[in-house]
Amino acid sequence: MSTASVVTQTAEQAASQRSVTPLGDDRLWRWLTFSPALALMLVLSVLPLANLFVSSFQDITWSGGASTRSFVGLSHYAALGSDALFHAGIRNTFIFAFCAVAGQMILGLGLAVLCSRVTRGRVIYRAVFILPILIPGIVIGAIWKLLLNYDFGLINQGLALLSIAPHDWLGSSETALLSVIVVDIWHWTPFCFLLFLAGLESLPQDIFEAAKVDGASSWQEFRLITLPLMVPTIVVTFAFRLVLAFKVFDEVYLLTSGGPGTATEVVSFTLYQRFFTEDRIGYGSAISVAVIFIVSLLLVMAISARRRLGSTS
Amino acid sequence: MTGTFRINRRHALAGMGAAALSTSWRPLWAQSVAPITIVINQSPWFESFRRTVEQYEAETGNRVELDVNPFAGSLEKQRNSVRAASGQYDILIMNSGWFTEMYAGGFVTPITDIDPSFQLDPEVYTLGDTVYYNAEKRTVTADGKLMSIPVSPLIPMLYYRGDLYAEAGLQAPKTFAELEENARRFHEPPRRYGIVQRGARGPHTVAYDFYPYLYGHGGGIFRDQSSGDYTVTLNSPEGREALEYYIRLAREAGHPKTAAMDQAEVIQAMVTDNTAHIMMVIAAWSQMDDPNKSAVVDKVEWAPPPSLPGLPTAPGLGHWLAGIAHNVPDDRKRAAVEFLRWFQTKEAQLVTAEAGGIPVHAAVYREPIAEERRYRWMKPLAEALPHAVNIYQFPEASEVIAVLELGLNRAIAGEITAVDALNGMADEIHAIMAKHQYNTGQIERL
Repeated sequence: MSTASVVTQTAEQAASQRSVTPLGDDRLWRWLTFSPALALMLVLSVLPLANLFVSSFQDITWSGGASTRSFVGLSHYAALGSDALFHAGIRNTFIFAFCAVAGQMILGLGLAVLCSRVTRGRVIYRAVFILPILIPGIVIGAIWKLLLNYDFGLINQGLALLSIAPHDWLGSSETALLSVIVVDIWHWTPFCFLLFLAGLESLPQDIFEAAKVDGASSWQEFRLITLPLMVPTIVVTFAFRLVLAFKVFDEVYLLTSGGPGTATEVVSFTLYQRFFTEDRIGYGSAISVAVIFIVSLLLVMAISARRRLGSTS
Repeated sequence: MTGTFRINRRHALAGMGAAALSTSWRPLWAQSVAPITIVINQSPWFESFRRTVEQYEAETGNRVELDVNPFAGSLEKQRNSVRAASGQYDILIMNSGWFTEMYAGGFVTPITDIDPSFQLDPEVYTLGDTVYYNAEKRTVTADGKLMSIPVSPLIPMLYYRGDLYAEAGLQAPKTFAELEENARRFHEPPRRYGIVQRGARGPHTVAYDFYPYLYGHGGGIFRDQSSGDYTVTLNSPEGREALEYYIRLAREAGHPKTAAMDQAEVIQAMVTDNTAHIMMVIAAWSQMDDPNKSAVVDKVEWAPPPSLPGLPTAPGLGHWLAGIAHNVPDDRKRAAVEFLRWFQTKEAQLVTAEAGGIPVHAAVYREPIAEERRYRWMKPLAEALPHAVNIYQFPEASEVIAVLELGLNRAIAGEITAVDALNGMADEIHAIMAKHQYNTGQIERL
């Protein structure tokens, strides 16, 4: 018997042993072993979402300590069209998300490129750059509330040294959203920096060496080699950050509570207001579904953009 | 002559029984009962409540757990607990903004349903009869059942710098015109502002501080809640005058960032000698004379909020009530009643006052303590309390408050005019009341 036939025979025996399980064929066995994980996933993620979706078509009232659910059709979704707070929340969230993420991407990439070229003290630079991401959100709120304070904030005190009048950074409609964006950039740029640095360090070095041999300048190297090769990393980072920025809540809650007026109202804050403060569970669920839809849409757009750009690069 | 004293078995048993009875007799509130848990917010008056609870534990040996939360967090925990099959909290410390939600939802058990013999001390403030609820009429009126005991009779008061007033030979302002004149007089920005007002959006922030201005100008939100007339009157000429006054005061004699001012910042402005007046909930009084926190120790005086000539002062109730949750075991409900029975006594309320709290028992305001310099806020408070206005008598108040918070904040920030804000808020409030099927309507727009 040749070695080949022995191997084939052994494989067939193994296959026949696999299919002869106490529970019948192999496919059933696989489903049975997989089902606990599937059930857990259904219970933990799909069911809550389904419950949220169902609640968005209902009104929930309480009497005698018990709840009553009444079907209201699409009225909550229709009400979204006339909810000025929701509109302000969506508008500001888009402005916030795109401006903050753009700032973080530019700064993060710049810092990563600089850091990747540093040979001495690299660890120290990295530690310093990623510090803001390690600070809890509540502490960031406290830090920036103090910095931006009108009466005794460091920023206004610095302006006073230059004989510039103090400004109400968080209380003025013109600068409140900008201030929150700056805080978010400060907070999340390290996240982009880390991903970009990892991306840069994984790029093939021979291309750069070849470019150097061909006499490429640093700028040419960055524009014609680094940037195209980094496109997949950039798109993934952008998608990650965009989705996270769309969900912003803590910075707004701690710094401005959505004010002044609706200047810093973001959609998560509107949701908090409607669902929790006003206890409008049905309507709050409708806002939640709308937000999930928008975030999913952004994610799909980012993924398709990555595919397109990835194939181009 | 010597006699013999013989004790037979019957005497011995009777004597042991009597001894047992005499040693175990305690007042009703001092009966040993099950431990209870109270959910409460972290407010400026919390420390006084905590010390009062400690006194209760020391006197009775009963145990009380306190679950302390931020304002909005306390409401959310209460909702979660009372909507569960079995509640975590026995006593709910409810704010004026949400107690009707708890009453109307059936989340609070009437105290007299637990113990029919329970009687509210006649000297305890009923604060617009908000301790009662008539389920049939869906309103808080004295013909309803006793649902709660007041914990802190909070209303806003005018805090003013007594030393500056004395130097200038001024009396505490009684009218809005006097307040404005005095605020302008002391307005020397940025060293000191004439007045610092709260304008930030929050769970019940700018709206709460605006009520004394609104009602003091003869305005209001609804025509007559007690009779079930929920016609929205917010955008009346009186409402307009009140809001325009509030904004004018902020712009011409107030802090430049009024629209972003929250409660902590307003208090801070007073204790750092940065303002001559604030209109603030009375609970913050103890911070004024605390040398560790205040640069104006013994310089702050109190007065009822001003009003228009001919109208009474009209501070809005921002009080706290203690109700017993419906979904806790009977022994814990009875234990909660015993705590409330003790808490409403004059003696307990004296402990509260001495610990920096605001007593709910009228007799405390007649005690010698009220004459002490440290408690100089007591008499003005006792003067203002009878005029306090209960702003909301319906369970959907949180929706109306949210409308007011945004509309007032936008007007103060200058995003929209006072007239647009009032008309817009009136439209939204009318829509809310109509949605919940109240007898509502609107007045002529401004």
